[in-house]
Amino acid sequence: MQRSFVLLGCAVLAFAPGGPLGAADTTVTITQGVDADTLNPLATTITPTFNVVQHVYERLADFGSRPGEYEPRLAVSWKRISPTTIEYKLRHGVTFSNGDPFTSADVRYTVDWIKNPANTSRQTPYVADIDRVDTPDPYTVRFSSKAPTAIPPGLQNPIFIVDAKYVQAKGNAYIAEHPVGTGPYVLREWKHDDQTAFDANPHWWGGRPKIDHVVFKPIPEAAARVAALRTGATDLITNVPSQYYDQLSSGATTKLEATRSLRQLFIAFNTLQPGPQQNKLVRQAINYTVDVPAIVKNVLGGRGFEQSTPIPPNYFGYDASVPGYKHDPTKAKALLAKAGYPDGKGITLVLNAPVGRYNRDREIAEAIAGQLTSAGIATTVRPQEWVAYSNEVNRRALTPMYELGWNQPSADADGIVTALFTSTAPLSCYSNPEIDKLAEQARGELDAAKRKALYKRIATILDDDAPWIVLFEYQDVYATSKRLHFAPRGDELIRAYEMSVG
Amino acid sequence: MIVFLARRALGSIGALIGVAVVVFVILHLSGDPATVMMPPEATKAEIDAFRHAEGFDRPLLVQFGAFALDAAHGDLGVSLRHQVPAMSLALERLPATIVLAGTAFAIVVLVGVPTGVLSALHPRTLVDYAARAVALIGQSAPTYWIGLMLILLFAVRLGWLPASGIGDWRNVVLPAATLGFFSTAKLMRLTRAAMLDVLAADYLRTARAKGLTATRVALAHALRNAWLPIVTQLGVELGTLLSGAIITETVFAWPGVGRLAVQAVFERDFPVVEAVVLLAATIFVVLNLIVDLLYAVLDPRIRYA
Repeated sequence: MQRSFVLLGCAVLAFAPGGPLGAADTTVTITQGVDADTLNPLATTITPTFNVVQHVYERLADFGSRPGEYEPRLAVSWKRISPTTIEYKLRHGVTFSNGDPFTSADVRYTVDWIKNPANTSRQTPYVADIDRVDTPDPYTVRFSSKAPTAIPPGLQNPIFIVDAKYVQAKGNAYIAEHPVGTGPYVLREWKHDDQTAFDANPHWWGGRPKIDHVVFKPIPEAAARVAALRTGATDLITNVPSQYYDQLSSGATTKLEATRSLRQLFIAFNTLQPGPQQNKLVRQAINYTVDVPAIVKNVLGGRGFEQSTPIPPNYFGYDASVPGYKHDPTKAKALLAKAGYPDGKGITLVLNAPVGRYNRDREIAEAIAGQLTSAGIATTVRPQEWVAYSNEVNRRALTPMYELGWNQPSADADGIVTALFTSTAPLSCYSNPEIDKLAEQARGELDAAKRKALYKRIATILDDDAPWIVLFEYQDVYATSKRLHFAPRGDELIRAYEMSVG
Repeated sequence: MIVFLARRALGSIGALIGVAVVVFVILHLSGDPATVMMPPEATKAEIDAFRHAEGFDRPLLVQFGAFALDAAHGDLGVSLRHQVPAMSLALERLPATIVLAGTAFAIVVLVGVPTGVLSALHPRTLVDYAARAVALIGQSAPTYWIGLMLILLFAVRLGWLPASGIGDWRNVVLPAATLGFFSTAKLMRLTRAAMLDVLAADYLRTARAKGLTATRVALAHALRNAWLPIVTQLGVELGTLLSGAIITETVFAWPGVGRLAVQAVFERDFPVVEAVVLLAATIFVVLNLIVDLLYAVLDPRIRYA
């Protein structure tokens, strides 16, 4: 009698929260600058919202840590069965949080929902490469594209899968507030602009997540975010202004986590509008004038990685043999003289820049303008608020130079080349029929080695033609509480199910 | 009285229509939401398709006509960013702003006015100088800076109050203090000036000569007559508080209408901006009417035809 009580007591203590076998109820709070705009994963395009919804919803596969690598999620395997068709084998035994089983019908419904004009989904570009969906059985789905694509349809920009029965029954307005997914967490409540709280899904196919509760608390003001971290009101903050780095890395309860981003910043020349920038020699001279390492050191505090080509080293299609333009005032001078602008006389340039869109965007533009002006090329900065700026970029109205950033989560050169260097792309102010041809070839080239060679040719042509001032890739910096184990990702996604505390 | 109210109602509707038109035109001239709503890798065809689906490629007059027709039925459209009805978004955030502005207003009335009275009753003393110095700071320092300083002191250094967000009574203290600081300072100085004016009047000399206590003189006679300019200014300050809430709500991550408005403007979420502006305009109109009616209560000499 005595002994069994003792044993019972020990068991209770062991399994109680805080005991050796029980688990303390862990909550992690994440703070971004904005609240999720919706909890419908098919109705948004911004990273902060993806960060929230990806705790409830899942894709067929997620991007891995290296370009071209994927982590199986709702699909366990996939293979090409023809140059234009890929077949995914889906995971068995997966249910949505309301009990509905996950099958290929849900995948088909998701693609159809996005393509349906009645839903005005902004994700139509993500499924542009899927021309047809076939579901031969509940655990097999096939995507077919019109022409062969190097990245199989569905893997360029994977979409989150929704519960067909649930969405059809409840309608778009309801699912925007009441998400039902297959993922590691379920929504507890969403108080708009205040907080979004998730609880661990004990039935997740991946096992119970380590962190029991995840709360997203948006704080728009950067200084207030830092204050919230320092008071312990939150565990992780994004978009940390650089003046706080020292304070936070040496703080008693805070630390910094950093990683090389997939996001680069660049200056593009508007070669479609008249001006000195239409002269290749001028563009090359400007490239030789700009001192990128100095900018990385002085404006970013060293937290950046100089690039030599528009395709960065952490992307598929990168080629190390492309020389790029190192800071060389002598060569710059010679080229300017050859172009008919000795010592930069006769050139006045305007560098258009957004304000507050990218880390230190305005300061970097001013630094570059300063470097050019010191070298004799009179340059002024024209800063603009993001939406007005974005409108003008899309109309190709910014001339002769404009600053922009680009983040390609698939880490594949095709995204960069197609969106930024082909003649028909709205964001490209460069037109070169050879690049258009090579880009299309590379997009459809299924042999990886041949494809790499094509991108090497593209990079070499771009290096000579210099439609950009190639700058750098960012280092993304996050600040967290000391107890949080968090490994940042280059694609800026934040996943509580990959974190732990203690 | 009925005629007065009817005339005011008609005028208010006209004002609201004017506001709606002006905001609509400015919004649509300020930028194209299609390019920011679609992802950066969208092709021109995809962006054009989206623009067409949302009707932004129609002539401005046609768009306004459609908007006016819907608005007359109470439908202000669906938020581009959140894809839920715009007015319901604004109304949902309104209580939080009312709590914040209401608390700040209480601070203005309960701190600003009595301090002004005290200052006027004891001019050129330490109390007077101290109050006027604090008032000067309150009217010169930007709200944004005051908010951040308060957060640094009371949340980070002392840990007495939360740094941001909504919750229990502790969360309201810093934002309300920040929001109310400017208006409290203004009211304090105005009350002091109004009281000093009245205290010098003949009828006050008579009251004192009659043998009334100092308190009764100050409150029942002086303050009662000084109320009119104070009440007028309080009405104006309520409007100032509602617009100042934009900055305070952003600094303190307070989920109110002001914060919604800022985001909507930056994102060119047209329906939400319209909804918020119309809501704010309606509130202003109603508040002005209440203040005007209050005059008649406070000053028996005022009658509305």
